[in-house]
Amino acid sequence: MHGRLKVRTSAEEAARKKKEQDLKAKAYRNGMDKIFTLRNAENFDNNLLELSGKILSVNPDITTLWNIRRECIIKMTTDNPDSASTLFDRDLNFTELCLQVQPKSYGAWHHRSWILENSPKPDWNREVSLCTLYLKKDERNFHCWDYRRYVARKANLSAESEFKFCDEKIQKNFSNYSSWFYRSQLLPVLHPHPSDSSRPISEEKLKEELEIVITAAFTDPNDSSAWFYQRWLLGYSDPKLDLACFKLTQSQAVIAFTKLVDLSKDKITISTNTSLDKGIWRSLSGNKSDSIWIQKGEFEISDDILIKMNHNDKTFELEARKIDNNSIIGIKLPSFGYEFGAAVKEELKNQLDSCNQLLEFEPDSKWTLLTAALLMRSIDRFQYHEKTLEYVRKLQKVDSLRAGYYMDLASKWILEEKLKNMVESGKFDKIDLSSLDLSVVYYNQFLFIGNEINLQNNSKLNKKSCKFALVDGCKVTF
Amino acid sequence: MDFIDEDFIDHNKNNKNNHKKMEVDQNEELPTKFDMEMTIKYVANHGNDKNDFEYTMTEFLRMSGIYWGTTCLDIMGHLDKLDKKSIIEFIKNCQCKKSGGIAACDSHDPHILYSLSAVQILCIYDALDEIDIPALGKYVQSLQQIDGSFFGDKWGEVDTRFSFCAVAILALTNQMNLIDVDKAVEFVMSCVNPDGGFGSKPYAESHAGLIYCCVGFLSITHNLHRLETEKLAWWLCERQLKSGGLNGRPEKLPDVCYSWWVLSSLTIMGKAHWIDGAKLKEFIISCLDTETGGFSDRPGNMPDIFHTLFGIGALSLLGYENLKKINPTFCMPEEIVSKIYQAQILEY
Repeated sequence: MHGRLKVRTSAEEAARKKKEQDLKAKAYRNGMDKIFTLRNAENFDNNLLELSGKILSVNPDITTLWNIRRECIIKMTTDNPDSASTLFDRDLNFTELCLQVQPKSYGAWHHRSWILENSPKPDWNREVSLCTLYLKKDERNFHCWDYRRYVARKANLSAESEFKFCDEKIQKNFSNYSSWFYRSQLLPVLHPHPSDSSRPISEEKLKEELEIVITAAFTDPNDSSAWFYQRWLLGYSDPKLDLACFKLTQSQAVIAFTKLVDLSKDKITISTNTSLDKGIWRSLSGNKSDSIWIQKGEFEISDDILIKMNHNDKTFELEARKIDNNSIIGIKLPSFGYEFGAAVKEELKNQLDSCNQLLEFEPDSKWTLLTAALLMRSIDRFQYHEKTLEYVRKLQKVDSLRAGYYMDLASKWILEEKLKNMVESGKFDKIDLSSLDLSVVYYNQFLFIGNEINLQNNSKLNKKSCKFALVDGCKVTF
Repeated sequence: MDFIDEDFIDHNKNNKNNHKKMEVDQNEELPTKFDMEMTIKYVANHGNDKNDFEYTMTEFLRMSGIYWGTTCLDIMGHLDKLDKKSIIEFIKNCQCKKSGGIAACDSHDPHILYSLSAVQILCIYDALDEIDIPALGKYVQSLQQIDGSFFGDKWGEVDTRFSFCAVAILALTNQMNLIDVDKAVEFVMSCVNPDGGFGSKPYAESHAGLIYCCVGFLSITHNLHRLETEKLAWWLCERQLKSGGLNGRPEKLPDVCYSWWVLSSLTIMGKAHWIDGAKLKEFIISCLDTETGGFSDRPGNMPDIFHTLFGIGALSLLGYENLKKINPTFCMPEEIVSKIYQAQILEY
């Protein structure tokens, strides 16, 4: 049903085709009737294999026919165990035939793995070779890639040898997202980061990879495959789970996390060594998961509090201090991205230079603009703050399909800068976020700390994103 | 949700600098208006000729075909064009007495894909009690594995599509307690990839259709907070091409069905505004067959009922006039789903 061009034909031609199709439909009907009759009579033999094979070789998506073949093979090998290897081999060859007709047939691929899983002597290495061959014909067939990962594990192939295969594929053609994708799975196995589990690969390897990918990306700057890989190397800024912010007043306690959490399910425990430990946290929104959780009650504002969160045997801490007689607050900003070492930063600076050079010739090159902005953020996100915003605003125009994304991205970066300044100044009472062209408010989990938040003059702001405004004692003006 | 992947094989891809080929030629005169009347007829008449070649050769997915047809007719406000009685009779005949599962058509074997299609149709007709619901629940339960994953049928194929089907069936029939939901969630989460997407099983390449299944699964089980939405939604918004159409993986051709898989996932995550809705609308309508009605995968190709539903479904998500609102998680009319089950949707 996909990719079939509608062609105009003469009435004669159409009539001829109709006749031909009617015959085919009739033959199919007869074939299926015969097959079901034989199956109901439990005649699981060569004849049934042959009949189902005729139809499957034309249409390998008919799951029930594969099931019937399996029933035949089970029955025939039970009756005559000596026939097993012949039968299994024959069906392996048969699936190959079907995959030539339809290389994306779920049924044919699954039947192949069923044969091997049930075969007394499966040759997994042969399967790997077969994938190598098929991936030559179509280097993006994800059924084949996925099957390859499965058979490579079965054949006990090392990550090194798979990496070699994957690398050859990339060297042959940079524009192959599937190979870059596999690379991003293999590298963390081969070159894990020695100390930081949130970083996929070691700094040393990262530097090498950056060099490789930028060459690939510049070879064809309009092809997205390598740019996606580059972005993975630089790291996405989705934060890892941690405590974010805490505020205790006489009538309520508010605790916030860097991510949405479901405190009833996510095996997170909070301890403060205060009466709060006996109370119940409720999500701000009323939803099962939220980043802001509230406890109502009567609380004494006395000493500083150390909040501890336990999750998966890891402990996270947040120190909250008494700032006046009415509140105790604590705030811990996330890192907003990876912090790279000097050698990697040097390479990032070189790449930034290259991007900027390319932009002189092609000022509207989308991937170059985006990558340059991400590189600047990876080098020093606050030093380059204005420049990164300039690039993202430009992207809103040159890549207008995704203008909404870039608006949100700029809003996020603006908030990060504001939060950093707020924490550095130590002043949390009044937060001024007016006239910033914000489309969405990220980092709700830090903003409820203020008593007055000014969001005026952000005409495109999605107010639904300002959930923190629901926290009692938080006065927001739009 | 039967889900046919037809990710296009572009044999020219080895030839460098052929990006123009990755796009659709929009210089030809293409439809710019969606004439609903003709498409209503196209869907309503589908299958009138039981001996038709196409119809015969697709009997192995008949149940899904009927789901596609009923859903898009209902979204267009013309469910009355189909014969409810005979459809329900057909479904009843397809439920397997032994296993409780439902087959695509008579004599074929039960499968979780067609079990979901059947349940979706029955919900639309408010006729769930016409089949043996507890037996169907047991069937779904029997397919869950120790690691939380689901087989598609007793023959052991594992796929995140089947995880989606399982929880969708159980949510719509109010039997979620039959399975280990936590384990099911762990399995789906074990399929997250470094690019933020999901494939059909652990380590499998990210693909927009499978992303829909996993995001839909998390929406049904209220676990969307487990997603890294920024990363995933960016990958998804990059599926939009200059023509306005969406593809299923990087550097592939656009296809109307991805309008649904991508836009519904973005909608569930509150990020539908990350793509250009007006351009997508234009692309979908350019795939309308103005002679017969119905939508094809790309402009100028043969229409079919699968692309017709997913084109209309995406148009409904985009707020197209005179279409009923569609539920992004279940791909069914919102007015039907809202009476049965509340799935999780992120606002932004």
